[in-house]
Amino acid sequence: MERSATGGAGQGGAVLADLKLMLADITSDDAALTAAPDTPLLRDGLGLDSLGGALLLVRVRAEFGVDVADEDLNLDCLASIGTLAAFVADRMAGRCR
Amino acid sequence: MIKCVIWDLDNTLLAGTYLESPDQRLCADPDAARALAELAGRGILHAIASRNPPEAAACAATLTGHAFAAARLGWGKKSAAVAGILGELGLSAGEAAFVDDDPLERGEVGRALPEVLVLAPEDLAEAIGWPEFSPPVITPEARRRGDMYASRRVRQEEAAAFGGSADEFLRYCRTEVRIAEATEADLPRLHELSFRTHQFNSVGVPVGAEIFARLAGGPQGPSRVVTVRLSDKFGDDGLVGGCVITVSGGTWHVPLLMMSCRALGRGVIGALLAWIRRAASLADASEVVVTCVITDRNVPLRIALTGAGFRADMAAKITLPDWAQSGEHARVAAYHAAPGQPELPHWVVEVP
Repeated sequence: MERSATGGAGQGGAVLADLKLMLADITSDDAALTAAPDTPLLRDGLGLDSLGGALLLVRVRAEFGVDVADEDLNLDCLASIGTLAAFVADRMAGRCR
Repeated sequence: MIKCVIWDLDNTLLAGTYLESPDQRLCADPDAARALAELAGRGILHAIASRNPPEAAACAATLTGHAFAAARLGWGKKSAAVAGILGELGLSAGEAAFVDDDPLERGEVGRALPEVLVLAPEDLAEAIGWPEFSPPVITPEARRRGDMYASRRVRQEEAAAFGGSADEFLRYCRTEVRIAEATEADLPRLHELSFRTHQFNSVGVPVGAEIFARLAGGPQGPSRVVTVRLSDKFGDDGLVGGCVITVSGGTWHVPLLMMSCRALGRGVIGALLAWIRRAASLADASEVVVTCVITDRNVPLRIALTGAGFRADMAAKITLPDWAQSGEHARVAAYHAAPGQPELPHWVVEVP
């Protein structure tokens, strides 16, 4: 997947923290708050099912203005918390350039 | 299409207020109860969002003689209660109506969830004649929908208390997914699924029963229609999904894939996709291609497709069959997978 380094650790970190809050809310489980960035989002990771994954993307679009479902056809960025945070931070940084 | 009506209780579904009625000697509002019964007969679910103690839900069920699919009672915002019910039932905001006598509550829900159809009790008599409340066909599955959601609630409570994995829970529930060729008796339900499903629907246009009849050519035909039924120890959900498969030049094309969100989390979509890849492999196909119109609403289907090993491209020239075209300009992706022999979960039963 295309990645640039322009997201910056600061913005990426803030996005990651916000995503964890959203995930804890959607899964009704605080495990998301302390999960490592490489924790898978779906199934055996944080246990999101396909509807939960879709709900997360709706919240991401509302919060960050990034339409992940529209831009990432294969939804590869749902692999882990970290890949989703990087994708969102990258798109946000792209808008600011 | 409205799939669920979410009711306030005091002075809406109930004639009076629950807490102020001595000994809770109350009755249901006759107009509201009539609307509820009429809509339940059309397969529309009912739920409760009320600022009352939890026992008021059981009281409303007794007074109306209806099993509610979900109930949120308490002092939080009504919009939060409505959103919670939507999440619990797997519905989107556009599939729900909210009825409340209090204009402030209607305003709060309308602002927070603009897609929800917000009604005052006096609007109901007219509203039940609107197309949003009038599904074109009503199947036995649709009429039993309220009962099915009631068993779903019991299932979810047991799942929450269950210690093992999701797969172990499916096994514990004696889940059975039956995959079979469509018969004539299935055609009305397939048509109904085509317009009632959105989150797991690859084309998003209604497909007529006569189209399914034409496409159902059996296992050896140029096209076939496959049905999926679901049951477990909590109840029988009947026909919950299906797909159309056409074969040309060694490629299995799947121009329509659909599943009721009622079957979500119960292994059905994964089982169907694994079955398709396996059946294609047994028929010596070289490729499986699921075409999917990209919409805001079918993101869950796309997540399921990639989870089942399919990869998408927009480059391939894709022509949707006539019956799958909406007339609007649509973005269509082709999800490819190699045929394979993924292991079918043991709860899948193939009906020859």
